[in-house]
Amino acid sequence: MANVLEIEKLNFTYVDTWKKVVSDFDLAVPEEEVVVLAGPSGCGKSTLLRAVNGLIPHMYGGQYSGSVTVAGKSVKDTPMRDLAQTVGFLFQNPENQIFMFSVERDIAFGLENLGVPRPEMRKRVDEAISLLGIEHLAQRAPHELSDGQKQRVALAGVLAMRPRLVILDEPTSLLDPRTAAELVELVGRLRKETGATFVIVEHRLDLVTRVADRMVVMDRGAKVLDGTPSQVLFGDEAELYGIAVPAATRLQKLLAKDGAVGTDRLMGPEELAAETGRGKK
Amino acid sequence: MMWLSGGFVFRRGESAYHQLDPRVKLLISILMFATTLLAKAVYEMGLVIAFMLAVATVATVLRRVARTMLLTATFSAFIFIVNILVTKNLETSSLYATRFVAIVVSTSLFFITTSPDELEQVMKTFRLPRDVVFAFVTAVRFIPVMMLDTVQIMDAQKSRGLELDKGNVFRRVRNMIPILIPLVVNSVIRSGELAEAMESRAYGAVPKPTSLVEYRASTRDRLVVLASIAFFVVVAYSFYFVPPLQLP
Ligand SMILES: Nc1ncnc2c1ncn2[C@@H]1O[C@H](COP(=O)(O)OP(=O)(O)OP(=O)(O)O)[C@@H](O)[C@H]1O
Ligand SMILES: [Mg+2]
Repeated sequence: MANVLEIEKLNFTYVDTWKKVVSDFDLAVPEEEVVVLAGPSGCGKSTLLRAVNGLIPHMYGGQYSGSVTVAGKSVKDTPMRDLAQTVGFLFQNPENQIFMFSVERDIAFGLENLGVPRPEMRKRVDEAISLLGIEHLAQRAPHELSDGQKQRVALAGVLAMRPRLVILDEPTSLLDPRTAAELVELVGRLRKETGATFVIVEHRLDLVTRVADRMVVMDRGAKVLDGTPSQVLFGDEAELYGIAVPAATRLQKLLAKDGAVGTDRLMGPEELAAETGRGKK
Repeated sequence: MMWLSGGFVFRRGESAYHQLDPRVKLLISILMFATTLLAKAVYEMGLVIAFMLAVATVATVLRRVARTMLLTATFSAFIFIVNILVTKNLETSSLYATRFVAIVVSTSLFFITTSPDELEQVMKTFRLPRDVVFAFVTAVRFIPVMMLDTVQIMDAQKSRGLELDKGNVFRRVRNMIPILIPLVVNSVIRSGELAEAMESRAYGAVPKPTSLVEYRASTRDRLVVLASIAFFVVVAYSFYFVPPLQLP
C-alpha cells in the first residue's frame, strides 16, 4: 500500500534559536493507519506535526533540511492552500480553532476560503455534520458549546475539507476523561468511515492504544521507538523515555512473567481479570 | 458594561423582525436615526420614540430596549442640565436630551436583532476587504471568551490576595495590572494559535471566498423597504414643513 506520509531525514531548528528541535527524523505511514506519537514534553512533537501540514516552513521560518511528502506532494514546495486540502490539523485548544459565529458556518470556513461553490459546500458540510453526529448543534454559537462539543465541531471543520491525512495534537488534554474517551473512539470510527490516515499526539495511552495500529516514541527530536503499541509498551525502553505506561499494561507485563497471559496484544483491566480467572464469568 | 451588553449585544430571537434581511434592518435604523434629527419639538420626538418602542414590541425586545432607555436616561439628564445651563432654553434642552435617548434606541434596535453573521453580510455588501470583515467577526466571536478569561483571572488573583476594590483611584488602577498582564499574554497566545488554525484551513487561498449561506432579499423584505421609505417621507415632510403644534 502506498504511503500517505513520508518523512526523510528531517532536521529543523526554529529561526533565532540554536537547538535542533527535530533531528534526522524518518517515518513512513501507510494509508489508513492510526499512529500515536508520544514523548516527553518539549521533545518536538508539535513541531513535527507543523512540518507535516506545512506550517513549517511556510509560517515558521528556520533551518530546514530533509523532506516531508504527503500524498505525493512535497510539503516544502506546495503552497498552504493545497496542503490544507490534504492534511487536516486538529489542535489542542478547541476554542482557538473556531472562528465563525455559528457551527455550520465554521465547518464551512475552510471550504469558503477555497472558493468551493455553494451547492458542493452545502453537501460537504452536511456530510461532516452527520459523520460527527452533531446535527443538533448546527445552528449554535461557539459560546453555547461545551469543550467536547467544540472539539467535535473543529474536527468536522477539518473533515469537511476531505483530507487524506488528519493530524491531532493533544486533542483531549482539555477534555474530561469521559469526553476524551468518546473523542478517541470517534477517531477509530472515522478511520473506518472516511478511509483517512491519522497521526495523534496523545498522553492518555490507555485510551488511544485501543484504536492505534502503531506507536512512535520521540525523544529530543529523534525517533527512538517505533512498533505496534504492544511491542513498544511491553519493551523495557518505553519507561526510560518518560512514557506513562498504563497501569493495566504494567499489570499485564507482570502477569506475563509467570505465563498467566500473553503479550501479543494489549488487554484492558476487565480482560485481564477474566483471563486470570478472577473476573465475572 | 451592563448597558453595553444589554443594549447592543445580539441575542437570538424568532420574531418576524429578526427574520428580515440584515440590510433592511440597517435601513430601518438609519431612517429612524434620520427622523430623530428632523424632529423639532419634544412631542415629535416623543412620537418617534413611541414608534421605535412599537417596532421593539414587534421584534419582541421591548424589555431590553426599555431597560437600555432607562440606563441612557442618566446620560440624558446630564445633557439636559448642561444644555439648560448654557442655553437657558427648556424646549431645546429637552429636545436634545430626548434626541439622545432616541438615537441610542434606534442604534440598539439594529444591533440586538442582527447576528454577527448578518453583520458580516452587511459589511460584505459594502465591499469592505475580507481581512477587515474577518477581523471584525473574530473580535465579536471572542467577546464572550475574553469576558470569561477576565473573570477567571480576577478570581485567581483575588484568591492570591489581590484586593481589587481597596484604596484610592490610583491604587485601584494599579491593582488592575495583575489582571491586565495575564489577559494580554493570553490574547497573544490565542492570536498565535488562531493564526495557525487559519493557515491550516486555507485562509486567504482565493481572492474571492464563497459563502455557505446566501442572504437574498425576499418579497417581504422588499415590501418592508418600500413601506419604510414611504412612511419616512411622510413623517419627514410633516416634521419639516408642517409647523409644530402650539401647545396650550
Ligand atoms: N515557535 C517557536 N519558536 C521557537 N522555539 C519553539 C517554538 N515552538 C516550540 N519551540 C521549542 O521547540 C521545542 C519543542 O517544542 P514542541 O512544542 O514541538 O514540543 P512538544 O513535544 O509538542 O511539547 P509538549 O508536549 O509540551 O506540547 C521546545 O524546546 C520549544 O521551546
Ligand atoms: Mg506540543
